[in-house]
Amino acid sequence: MNIIEIKNLTRDYGKGKGIFNVSFGVKEGEVFGFLGPNGAGKTTTIRHLMGFIKNKSGECYINRKDCWYDRANIQETLGYIPGEISYFDDMTGTEFLKFVTKYKGIKDTERQKELLERFELDPNVKIKKMSKGMKQKIGIVSAFMHNPQILILDEPTGGLDPLMQNRFIELIAEEKAKGSTILLSSHIFEEVERTCDRIGIIKNGRMVTVDSVETLRERHMHTYNVALNTKEEAESFAKDFGGVANGLNVTVASKQSLENIFMHYYGGDNND
Amino acid sequence: MINGSLYLKEMKKSVTMLLIFGGILLMYVSIIIGMYDPEMMAALESFYGIMPELMASVGMTSGATTLIGFMVSYLYGFILIIFPMLFCILRGNGLIAKYTDNGSMAVLIAAPVKRKSVVLTQLAVLLSGVIILVTYITCLELAVSAVKFRGELAVGELLNLNLALLFLQLFIAGICFFFSCLFSETKYSIAFGAGVPAFMYVLQMLANVGKKTEAAKYFTFFTLFDAEGIAANQASAFNKSFILLAGAIVLYMAGTTFFCKKDICL
Repeated sequence: MNIIEIKNLTRDYGKGKGIFNVSFGVKEGEVFGFLGPNGAGKTTTIRHLMGFIKNKSGECYINRKDCWYDRANIQETLGYIPGEISYFDDMTGTEFLKFVTKYKGIKDTERQKELLERFELDPNVKIKKMSKGMKQKIGIVSAFMHNPQILILDEPTGGLDPLMQNRFIELIAEEKAKGSTILLSSHIFEEVERTCDRIGIIKNGRMVTVDSVETLRERHMHTYNVALNTKEEAESFAKDFGGVANGLNVTVASKQSLENIFMHYYGGDNND
Repeated sequence: MINGSLYLKEMKKSVTMLLIFGGILLMYVSIIIGMYDPEMMAALESFYGIMPELMASVGMTSGATTLIGFMVSYLYGFILIIFPMLFCILRGNGLIAKYTDNGSMAVLIAAPVKRKSVVLTQLAVLLSGVIILVTYITCLELAVSAVKFRGELAVGELLNLNLALLFLQLFIAGICFFFSCLFSETKYSIAFGAGVPAFMYVLQMLANVGKKTEAAKYFTFFTLFDAEGIAANQASAFNKSFILLAGAIVLYMAGTTFFCKKDICL
């Protein structure tokens, strides 16, 4: 069953800006990587899912509920990290988390404590004085602290150092093991490669491809047959380049990294 | 309907501003009521004789002989209108448009709380502030006149007057609230939320100046706050105040509806 379902969603901002006929679904327990260059329409799509903006044409549902009309209801089991984090500047992180806990009516604060420790965050600082990374950590804690079943994460690791990015990837893996459904928009290839089951690439407001990581790799994998002079040469060649030797012939495949595959879709207009 | 923790958080922010306005009003109200004294009255009366237009433009008219009449002329034309109005403008913008503009509205609407509750909570905070201010003004006036001129103040009329003042300020709060809901950018919310009441006030000043510009009174809602009429217990003055109250309610409903239906790009 698709937990997140988007059908023919269109939002035309004019001058080619917006999203056009976007359709994809995220299955229960799946981690879906949502990728695209800046201004491609990732955030616009997410705004629809969050019920921030109304769908003008097309449909979007979470848990079979309409993202616009049932938005408050959907939010009960949803965690969200905004692409651009902006919290109440005059509060400290501690005050902010306390406020959000009460505001959302969260009873259990165990998870919050655990997350603060995991990300080595001391929230007792005015949000105004926090670095981008610290604010991002506050965002992560407040998105995960109520144990949501669905997560919508808009570039969640912006501003985090590599160590913390790693901890975040671990967190995603744990959530996935728990059966959470995750939509992750990202620019960090490693993050996507390590966590996502399927990937959707959006460009100029249109979905370019939606496929599993494996399929994407296979589609862009090139194989070569190389003939060598002796059997020994063939075997050592196969060993060095990770190919399969068959007599004097060796079959070698170039495993493109996900990054190259993205570049293929991101690149110039002739790749459309 | 209203979110308690949001209400408390925002009321905490209102307190600082209320204290500042409270201090300013304490100073003005006690000084002006203290000025009620026949000799001073004569002096003011002579100012009025020299420059009636200027005095009238800020709502000070001739012939204030009783304490309440004096207060109508010298408090309810400018000070008690402007300061609560400033509070409405600042808080009205700060409660909604500011959060939409800087993105922190995401915290409030990306939660299992209906947009309607969010916006009604913010409205409740704004209205609480206005009610606190007007109640404070009433107590202050009663206290200062009791200390300085025991028994001179017509208490019933003063209470009516402040009820009318409350309706006026609730209407102004409605304007600020409406534009704060309507616009997603602070610059527009402030431009209209402050601009409309300020422009209307200028029209009111013009209307007070003289016969030639009197027609301006048909274009400003301040005409509906008829302090002299209220102090004189005129039924028409009370009716005008109720129009303000009704207008305020319409503005609250319109603002709330807009906010619930609009696209918020966060």
